[in-house]
Amino acid sequence: MGTGLIDDYVTDLGSRLQGSRRQVRDLLTETRDSLSDAVEAHLDRGLDEEAAQRKAVEEFGPVREIAGEYQAELAVAYGARTLALLAVVLPVMHALWEMGRMYFIGPWQDFGGPVPSWYMWVAKANDMTSGVSAGIALVALVLGRVLARRFDAQLLARLAASVALLSLLVVVLGNVAILGATWGLDPQRLVQSFPMSVASFATWAVIVRLGLLARRCLSCATIVV
Amino acid sequence: MKPDALRGHLDALLLATLDGRELHGYAIIEALQLGSGGALDLPTGTVYPALRRLERAGHVVSDWSTVGGRKRRTYKLTSAGQRALRAERSAWREFTSVIDGVLGGDGKWAQA
Repeated sequence: MGTGLIDDYVTDLGSRLQGSRRQVRDLLTETRDSLSDAVEAHLDRGLDEEAAQRKAVEEFGPVREIAGEYQAELAVAYGARTLALLAVVLPVMHALWEMGRMYFIGPWQDFGGPVPSWYMWVAKANDMTSGVSAGIALVALVLGRVLARRFDAQLLARLAASVALLSLLVVVLGNVAILGATWGLDPQRLVQSFPMSVASFATWAVIVRLGLLARRCLSCATIVV
Repeated sequence: MKPDALRGHLDALLLATLDGRELHGYAIIEALQLGSGGALDLPTGTVYPALRRLERAGHVVSDWSTVGGRKRRTYKLTSAGQRALRAERSAWREFTSVIDGVLGGDGKWAQA
């Protein structure tokens, strides 16, 4: 069985989609299967090969319209994956950093002398940001599942991307605040423990990576197919 | 039947099609067309995003399996999907009963 029109349709559809590579591949595989089944059914009804393929493609729907619906689902799936990642990675990253800090530095009051109360306030606020951000991501994830059939997929995808970006913004602000506060207090403290400087660098690398994922979420949710 | 009229009911139609059986995408489309006597005229490509939406809502689960010597993604209802189908059927019966009370009277009010 030739597959010229089917191949063209699937290629055109694939070129319009953005999302997790595995999910795009799954959707395209399923599309090709469905079109092949339709062609077989039309051949059994007596159509010739080209007519069967043309009818299968026509029945499947205009590629632009179908790509729009596929893209909305891909965007929601990407958003859900990113939110799940934020809900897990942020608290784990914070817990690991705190464990490292206790091991290499010890309690803050033992680190280079006493610190003013405003500094402790900033440090405590920063400690809370990972938990708050992970909580926001988790709540959005659960709400997204509950509202899956009641809200338009594209709207849900945009909300998921916005929540992911907001969660990360909270973490970034917390980290920038503690860095700025430490710099203001005594810049030497920023490089006083080499292992913790490495841990801080790794933390920022993870935040940047999560930021790129969140930005891609937004791109998946707003792309015009 | 026009696609726009069907879109709002697609989820319920898919849940009903999967009631008590596990089917792959094209088998679902065929079952929908067979069940409607060929009257359902919806772009078949819209079925797949709808199935993903139902999966996201936890009403169906899918898995890749080999059917007729080919790898296919097959779908089946979850217990939440069964509950959703019961609710959809109940809402539909109520809706049709109300509408039929007004539209199904063959103009008896005008005659009265």
